[in-house]
Amino acid sequence: MLITGIKSKPIYTPLSFDASGRYHILLGAGVGANPLLRVLAEMKKTVPQSMIHARVLFKNASAIEATAGNVSESELAFRAVETVELRVFNNVASLLADFHILATGSLMGTRLYVAGPESFIGLAMQIALQFNLNQDEIRAEECGSLARRVFCIHCRAITDEVVTNIVKCACQRWLLVRDHYSRRLAAYMGVMADAEAPGELPEMREVFR
Amino acid sequence: MSAQTITVEITSIAQVTPLIKHFRLKATTGGYLPAFSGGSHIIVVMRGQKRIHRNPYSLLSSPNRLEHYEIAVRRMDESRGGSHFLHDVVKIGDQLEIAHPVNLFGLEKQARKHILIAGGIGITPFLAQLEDLRCGEVPYELHYSVRSHEHAAFLQHLGTREATRVSMYYDNEGATLNFEELLAKQPLGTHVYVCGPAGMITRVIDTARSYGWPNSHVHWEQFNAPPVGDAFDVFLARSKISVHVVPDQSLLECIEAAGVEVPYLCRGGVCGFCHTRVLELDGELLHHDHYLSANERTTGKSIMPCVSRAKAKRLVLDL
Amino acid sequence: MNAIFKVNETFRNDFTFCNSPAAIRRFPLPFAEDEYMYSVNIEPHLPGPQGSVSEFAFDVDEHYVAECHEREIVLANEPLRFQALPHMMSAQWDCLELIMESLARDYPKHFSLSKRNNHWQWSNGPLNMEQRFTFGDAATLPRPPLDYITRQAQGDFVVMDQREGNLWCEAGMVTTQADWSLDFDMGMTFKEWHGPVPLAHEMGVFDRAIKFLLNLRLGQPVRRLNWTMTVNPRLDTSPENYPHWGPDRASVNAANAGDLVHLRVELQGLWRLPRSNAVVFGIRCYLISLRELATIPKWARRVHRVLKKLHPALVDYKGLTRYREPAIAWLAPFDDGSPTTPGTSPE
Ligand code: FES
Repeated sequence: MLITGIKSKPIYTPLSFDASGRYHILLGAGVGANPLLRVLAEMKKTVPQSMIHARVLFKNASAIEATAGNVSESELAFRAVETVELRVFNNVASLLADFHILATGSLMGTRLYVAGPESFIGLAMQIALQFNLNQDEIRAEECGSLARRVFCIHCRAITDEVVTNIVKCACQRWLLVRDHYSRRLAAYMGVMADAEAPGELPEMREVFR
Repeated sequence: MSAQTITVEITSIAQVTPLIKHFRLKATTGGYLPAFSGGSHIIVVMRGQKRIHRNPYSLLSSPNRLEHYEIAVRRMDESRGGSHFLHDVVKIGDQLEIAHPVNLFGLEKQARKHILIAGGIGITPFLAQLEDLRCGEVPYELHYSVRSHEHAAFLQHLGTREATRVSMYYDNEGATLNFEELLAKQPLGTHVYVCGPAGMITRVIDTARSYGWPNSHVHWEQFNAPPVGDAFDVFLARSKISVHVVPDQSLLECIEAAGVEVPYLCRGGVCGFCHTRVLELDGELLHHDHYLSANERTTGKSIMPCVSRAKAKRLVLDL
Repeated sequence: MNAIFKVNETFRNDFTFCNSPAAIRRFPLPFAEDEYMYSVNIEPHLPGPQGSVSEFAFDVDEHYVAECHEREIVLANEPLRFQALPHMMSAQWDCLELIMESLARDYPKHFSLSKRNNHWQWSNGPLNMEQRFTFGDAATLPRPPLDYITRQAQGDFVVMDQREGNLWCEAGMVTTQADWSLDFDMGMTFKEWHGPVPLAHEMGVFDRAIKFLLNLRLGQPVRRLNWTMTVNPRLDTSPENYPHWGPDRASVNAANAGDLVHLRVELQGLWRLPRSNAVVFGIRCYLISLRELATIPKWARRVHRVLKKLHPALVDYKGLTRYREPAIAWLAPFDDGSPTTPGTSPE
């Protein structure tokens, strides 16, 4: 069974401003603020200035917070750009709910930029999918924690913030985390690690930091 | 393409506008014709006296009524091609061969809204698609532009069912479609489809692009009739034969007449299926397709023989 | 098909599945040579020789009734083994039509279909089912169309929508699979879905396959064979149930390999669907134990050699690591080193 090197693992590329778009939605979590600021800086160089909505997560109670960058400085940097309508959130759920509302009123010609941990990107993509945003309308850059959302193929439970090669699921099974990624579930596949020989587990290692 | 063909009989012919004739076809074996999806075309094989024509025509009949297929044929200005054969030669009761439908212009099933833009004969693929759209829940609009009332073919097909969804634009009344207005403010997930004259297609593509529409939301179909041109010669390297391409036949047609098969789907420069490698060239390729990128054109390494030609002392193809 | 349906055969617990001598002789061996590597081995799905598994569009064999029962058992516990995204409804009807028409045409003794406009009447003799319904109106069937018809068919079915120059896995009935999950893979592109397959991506196999499939034409289906191995004649080797079947792999030894180890061959067929312009991917699974295989001397020699020379990445991917050695050991006495004739025929 292939564990790593699976081709469904998304490939992310550094964000860059897409001048072909008319409207721009920027979503960031934690240190994801930095790539977004880079996009803004690139955008400033191109005329005419476009309308930009930024939704950024700076502080929250979940572990994503641990990756948050220098809060006040980046927030100020966003506020310094006049064409940006900025909203700051302290948890992923309310940021995504706001993105949903924003997308409902958005027009063709919109580009979506997402930056942050992969789990954050995945959840934003789930919403983008509902609005039929295609590959040519979305850019994403992975930064911050490499922790994974893991879908247990046996009980369907999702475990968040997995940083180790194996993880204990709610169903009490030890799951091996594979590179196989589902955009629909925004999660990696976890499959029982010791099914063939009970108790024979690989050594636990921290691999997704 | 070695596709099996279906023999059909012409059961009715109607002149629906000064330039367009409407044909109804049924299977000679009786029974139903193959099911298809809105936007599909068929290749009609016409055995003329001197040569065989193979032209693509969109199916305009309802995908839910398979006792017959319907196509509409616009008389083309040039003196060649199948349109004259269909306009002037065939009669009710004649038999033709057709290939199974192929869809290169399907509706996007996950779209949140569809905008259909038709110019003249370009209405045909949309007539079949409207049958599907009518049953669905996704909002749609049709914008149909014609020269004048007498050129508004198939308006009666649309009937009153579509009254609220259809906007008509008659050139002679000065009513022109405002592409900017149409494309500037559409919700996310909208797809636009255009079929009509080349100028209209270009306008839609350019306008959509200027409003930031990504390519994946802009769909168009235009079957280029193979343009006429000067005669030229070509050498087929693998078959080791020379072929003379006459002015009023396409490169593909002449290659086929020489007994060499080239795969094709659309015969209109759209699908990319007939893509052929150019091995040697002393001269210029005259690209008429919509498939090759600008870059591929300049390198001169590829040609789409269904529509493109050459002006060359020597041309060698990998066939 | 003249075979009698072996209605009581099982694919779990007591595993009473076995092949009759006739079923063994028609087994679709996927090895034309003594060595195996991927290739884009796609060929037109044209009618094969009489009695062969490719004689008809969908092969119905002696295991038909038992396999349909097995599918019911799986679905009773795990309804998500059938799924379809909302935009795949017309493709579901396309599949129903394709399967019903093929079965009624190819096995008139067992199946019949009559149509009056959209009023269809279907009867399935082996499963003793009758259904009148309106084609296109899902309310007139007891289940969604793809669910309804694939409960009466052998093999798995995945339906792929075509858009953005890609194929997307967006509906399916998957209960007899070799370790992949429809639930997890729903919504993936063809390439993502095949992400876990080693080597083939690097060899460009999927790039070529996708190019080919995007241009698949109505009325011109294609097929290919694929294979793996399974311990016990278990159809449901899903990742979902890996905790149940995983331990089987550790139970093989050189003495019992002949009965436990099965060659698992997939006859994969691909059809363009007319109304939806989608593509349906049929994956029909055939199982044969090494002991049954060894009744054909040429096949025993060939499979022995293929297993011995198999690329390590494929050994791992096909999950053979724990029991390849015992399987080779069990087959060894059947391989005297004499040459095999080319091709897959038994002689
Ligand atoms: S046949 Fe389609 S591009 Fe030539």
